[in-house]
Order: sequence, then C-alpha cells, then structure tokens
Amino acid sequence: MATLAPGVKTGPYHAVLDHIHPEPTSFIRKYIFSIDHKIIGIQYMITAGLFFIIAGLLAEIIRTQLLSPTGAVVSAATFNQIYSMHGTTMVWFVVIPLLTGAFGNFVMPLQIGARDVAFPWLNLVSYWIFPVAGVLLFSSFLIGAPDAGWTEYPPISLQGPPGTSMWCIAVFLVGISSTLTGINFTVTILKMRAPGMTFTRMPLFVWAQFATSPMLLIATTALNGALAALFLERQFGIPFYNPAHGGSPVLWQHMFWFYSHPAVYIMILPAFGFISEILSTFSRKPVFGYKMIAFSTVAIALLSFAVWAHHMFTSGMVPWLQLPFMIITMFIAIPTGIKIFSWMATLWGGSIRWTTAMLFATGFLITFTFGGLTGFFLAAVPADYHEHGSYFVVAHLHYVLFGGSMMGLFAAIYYWFPKMCGRMMSEKLGLWHFWLVFIGFNGTFIPLHWLGLLGMPRRVAIYDPQYQFWNVVASSFSYIMTFAILLMFINILVSLRSGKKSGPNPWGARTLEWMISSPPPYYNFKKIPAVLATPYDFGNPLPYIGLDAAPGATEATPTHTSHPVPTY
Amino acid sequence: MAVSVAKQGYELGHGHDEHDHEEVIYQETRDMRLLGFVLFLCSDVVLFSSFIFAYIYLRTTVAPTWPPIMDGHQLPRLDTAFAAVNSVVLFGSGVTMHYAMEGWKHGNKGRFNLFMLFTIILGSGFLGGQAYEYAHAQIGGWSGSIFGASFFTLTGMHGFHVFVGVVYLAVLWWQTSRTNLYDTHRYFGLTAGTLYWHFVDVIWVALFFLFYLW
Repeated sequence: MATLAPGVKTGPYHAVLDHIHPEPTSFIRKYIFSIDHKIIGIQYMITAGLFFIIAGLLAEIIRTQLLSPTGAVVSAATFNQIYSMHGTTMVWFVVIPLLTGAFGNFVMPLQIGARDVAFPWLNLVSYWIFPVAGVLLFSSFLIGAPDAGWTEYPPISLQGPPGTSMWCIAVFLVGISSTLTGINFTVTILKMRAPGMTFTRMPLFVWAQFATSPMLLIATTALNGALAALFLERQFGIPFYNPAHGGSPVLWQHMFWFYSHPAVYIMILPAFGFISEILSTFSRKPVFGYKMIAFSTVAIALLSFAVWAHHMFTSGMVPWLQLPFMIITMFIAIPTGIKIFSWMATLWGGSIRWTTAMLFATGFLITFTFGGLTGFFLAAVPADYHEHGSYFVVAHLHYVLFGGSMMGLFAAIYYWFPKMCGRMMSEKLGLWHFWLVFIGFNGTFIPLHWLGLLGMPRRVAIYDPQYQFWNVVASSFSYIMTFAILLMFINILVSLRSGKKSGPNPWGARTLEWMISSPPPYYNFKKIPAVLATPYDFGNPLPYIGLDAAPGATEATPTHTSHPVPTY
Repeated sequence: MAVSVAKQGYELGHGHDEHDHEEVIYQETRDMRLLGFVLFLCSDVVLFSSFIFAYIYLRTTVAPTWPPIMDGHQLPRLDTAFAAVNSVVLFGSGVTMHYAMEGWKHGNKGRFNLFMLFTIILGSGFLGGQAYEYAHAQIGGWSGSIFGASFFTLTGMHGFHVFVGVVYLAVLWWQTSRTNLYDTHRYFGLTAGTLYWHFVDVIWVALFFLFYLW
C-alpha cells in the first residue's frame, strides 16, 4: 500500500473517487449521452469545430464584400446579419465552449487526478443545451437573422428582424450551459483534487479554470437577465430599453458589458493556462514565477468585473465615472504584464523544442501582447473618443481573441491531440498551418488598425473609396488564413486515421494527464495518485506517487465497479 | 513518520467496513452537492440583481419623477400595508420551515409533518396574496410603464421561485413519507429545500424594501 511522504496533506474528498463506474456498453450511452468528461469534452470540440467552420465562412463573406467600396457580394441588410452572426458564433459558440467545455472538460479533471467532474449528469445537460442553442441560432437565418452586431444594442435590436428574439433565446440557453459548467468545475476543483494537490501545486491550466468558473456562473447569469429583458421588450412590449416608453438603451449597455467584459477574460484566461503548460514543457524549465502567474490570473478575474464601462465612453455616461473606469482598465495591464514577462523568463535559457504547439504558444506571446497594447489605447478616454466604433476596435479585438484565444487553442489542439486520440498530428502540416496563420492573421488585421485610425467605421457594407487599398490587402491575407485553418482540419482528419502512435507521454510533460495511457481509460486513474510537488520541476523525480503502474500498463481491469450509493 | 494514505480515505473500499465506506461517501457527496447548490443560488442571486440593477438605474437616472407619469397623470404608489401583511406570511413560512427541519433532525416526525404543512400553506397563501395584489395594483400593467415593467418582472420572477419552492417542498414531503431516502443523519435533500426556501425569503426582503419602502 502506498504511503505519503511526511508532511503531505491529504484532502478528505477521495473515497468517492475510489469507485470506478462500470463502462457503458451501448453506443448511445457511450458516445451520445455520455457522462464521461472526456467524451463530453470531445463532443464540445466537434460541435464547436462545426460552428467554427460556419463562423469562418461568414467571416470570408465579410472580407469578400469589403473588397469593393460599393460592396461586392451581398446586400447591406444581409451583410448586417452576417457580421452579427459571425461575432455571436465566435464568442458564445466557438471560443467559450472550446476553452471551458472542450479543454476544460477533457484536461482539467485529468490534471487534478480525478475520475470525473463533480456532477457528471449536470455535465451531460450542459453539453446538450449547447448544440440545441446552436441550431436555434442558425435557424434564425430562416426568419431574418439578428442584424445589430453581436452586442445587439437597442433600440436597433428592438426593431431588428424576428430572428433577434431567437438570438436572445439561443444565447440565453448557451448561458445556462456555461453557468452549469461553471458550477460543476468550481466544485470539482475545490473538492476533488488528488491527495496532496494543494492550491500551490495545481497546474496553471487548472488555476485558469478555477478563476474562470466562478466568472462563468456570475457574469453569464447577469447577461441572461439582460437577454430576458430584451426578449420581453421585443415580444411583449415590456419597457426596459426603449426611450419612447421611458426606458434607456444605455441600461442594456451596462447590463451587457457587465457580462461581456468578464467574458473577454473568460475567453483568454484558459488560453493563458495553455500557454503556461506548453511553454514550460517545451522549454524543459519550470514556469518562471508560478505563484505570480496564478495570482495574476485571479487578479485579472476580479478586476474584470470593475471595468465594463470602458466600452461606453461615447454612450453618454457621466464624465466623472469615465476616469475611474479608465484607470481600473489600465490596472489590468499589471497582472497581464506579470504573465507576459514570466513567460518570457520561462523561455530564457530553456532547451526549446520547436514543435507546432510551441510555435503557436510563442506566436501567441507576440500577437496577444500586440492586442493588449492596442487595448491600452482604447482604454484611454481621449483616444477612445477617436477610435470608438472604428475598425481600430475590430483590429484590437481580433488581436486578443484570434491572436490570443484562437492561437492558444491551436497550440492546445496540437499539444493535447495525442492525449485525446492516441496519435500524433503531422508536424509538417502543422508547420505550414502555423506560418500561414501567423502571416495571414497579421496581414489581415494590421491594416485594420490603420483603416480605423483613418476613420473607417466598423459594421459597414459600403465605404469611402479612399479606404479600398488596405481593405483589399486585408481580404487577400484573410484567404491565406482560411486556407491555413483548412490545413489544420485536414491535419486532424489525416492524423486520426494514420498519425504515428503517441504513447502516454510524447512531450515528456509532467502534469498528471500524461501519466496515464493515451487515450485515457474510462476511469482515468486506477488508483488516485498522491501529489508531492508542483508539476514543473523538470530534472526532479516525478512529483507523484501511487501512479497506476508504468505507462502502458493501465489495461488492467478495474477492481471495484460499483456506483456511488445514491444517498440524499 | 509516514502517514498511511488509507487512513486519509485514499484507498477506502478495500478491506474496510462497508458501512463506514458508505458513510464517507455520503458525507463527501453531500458536501459537494451542498457547495454546488449554494453556487446555483449565487447565480440566481445575480439574475435577480441584474433586474434590480435595471430597476434602480431606470428609477434614479432615467425617470424624471417616481412613480413615473403615464398618460398625463402620475401613477400611485403600491399598497405597502397589504404587502407588509403578505411579507409576514412569507417570513412566517421561513420560521415554520426552520422548525420542521429541527423536528426532522431530532427524529420528531409528527412535528416535522405539522410544520411542513404550515410552511406549504403559508407559501401558497403568499402566492394568493400576490395574485390579489396583481389584480388590484393601479400602476398601469406590465407593459404600461417602466414601473410596471420592473415591478411585475421582479415580483413575478420571485413569485415563480416561490411556486417552484412550494412544489419542491411538497415533493420532499412526499419523499419523506413514501420513500426511505432520508433519515435523521442523511437528509441532504431536505437541507437543500430549506436553503432554497430561505433564499426566496431573503430575495423578498430586498424586493420589499425596493418597491414598497423606498
């Protein structure tokens, strides 16, 4: 029997984990209505991947339209629907589900040494709300999709096509899904960590999920209130936002951004987690400033609730409130800067391996820092007066969301694909994917900064001919980027069939998910291991004891197969 | 000195007393469910807060007068006296719920049944009072003004929560008489029901202050 080293604290929450559920045998219980967090994670990934393809095609329609100042492809009304749906899909149906639903579900329970999340059935419900909401969202095209941008400001959204109400329901549903996931993950991380895994021994991706989950359950519910009010006003004329009936459109902006600014960090903190894991693994060095990175994650999460009005400097808010919002927004640069410098110091002197995941992680450092710097311009009240509502904002948000979240996600896909599928992805195609995305992305979005500063407004179907040159440049590069993402999908499909077998730990990483076979067995860990140190001390013996066996030997049948007793 | 992991619940279920094992599992799942349920209530508080924020915002920064003017005349204030009586009914149900739980914990089934009955009657009575108030409120209806919009949306949401709570308590009561899910040591479902019921009370304190006293 394994014993813990002296001084190792164990939590009291592991007896339930000792029970190994019997593996379901029917196809439906195994792959469709599964309660296994790994299957649910992959379900999220496939669903969000499909939505990503749709959103990408919408983006290409937008860029193609803007090739010509008079609009090359679609009517102005259709154009409005397309960019609104592109934004909605990317934020709520691609990035958040991929970061928390897909990677949070697949990786986080493995990293804390758990057999599943705290409430597996709730997890099943969370997932199945999500595709239903997605179908509802896209079917709004049939009756006139929402056309007031992803932010759906009233009073325009009050007059929008009937699909705007369906948009409210779809986003409301996906919000419920996020809230349930937030509850589930918070309890999982607080209560189900392996013995010895104190807070300061959690992998940094778990820290990121731990900061994100409470934000999901607080901020998303606030958005649901705003959406419910918008729905009530559109369908039943209950006055909240319409100034003609005594309401206030600015109220929506407060309620919307109170959610949506924290949502920005919900969309980046897990990506920060990926980057910490990947940079450390491929530099073969401990993460520099582990505690400071963990602390700054929580600091960003807290600060994000106090900055929402920086989206509203031009909306007629009282002037004395603008200054504190500007200053608090700028404070966020401090914890973010701590992270960037810690990552750079992690690379310093490391023995770096340029895998595709590592390329994306370092690419992230460049593009995300750039996006963060333009955020600083937008936070400054006087500069914002000029830049607000222009293409500068579009450029900034794509630098942080594509250059940040999506680059992080690409890195994570290359990093954890072997764990999910047991096969390696092609590094050669991956190299092409990275360089074409990096060049295509920067070529697309750098010119948009200049267009914005020159005064080109966002969300327009036609524009002044003086802006055409840089629009053509941006559109041309965007085709390169789309082609590169197509390469990634090809890479995934080809590697699923014929990728090299990866084995349990192809990267030599030290977090717990790499200590078990790839793909992991149904019950994850036959024995719950005990944790002795942080997972990043390369060169020291493994910080775990009581691991199942040597990697590859986890085929052994589970010894104990009863369900937890259903007590109330 | 090496601490045996088994003692810490690390390898329970192997060579341990089966009853002990079940007890540990019960306590762990109860703690996790309790935390999950409290987090759910937190998110519900945020949902109410977003509408409360809307109400305060509309009242303080948008409306020129309060109650607002509709069709040329100022709307009346709500009937505070009636709502105060109705509030006492709801808070009373919180007190009876507390005694019902105390009865259960001490194995006094008769007392539990009696106070559960009181709780459900008082909860339903509150809903009846709210229905009466809705029928007699002179504030121009749900869609008439921002006053009606905030008032009927918030108290309607709260009333819906009370309704769900009454059904919830009725189901729990049925479970205690027809199943053996709960005993004097294991009664997490009842704890959750009680928490929910007190939560509904607390929300009402805020709403009563905001709509009737302010």
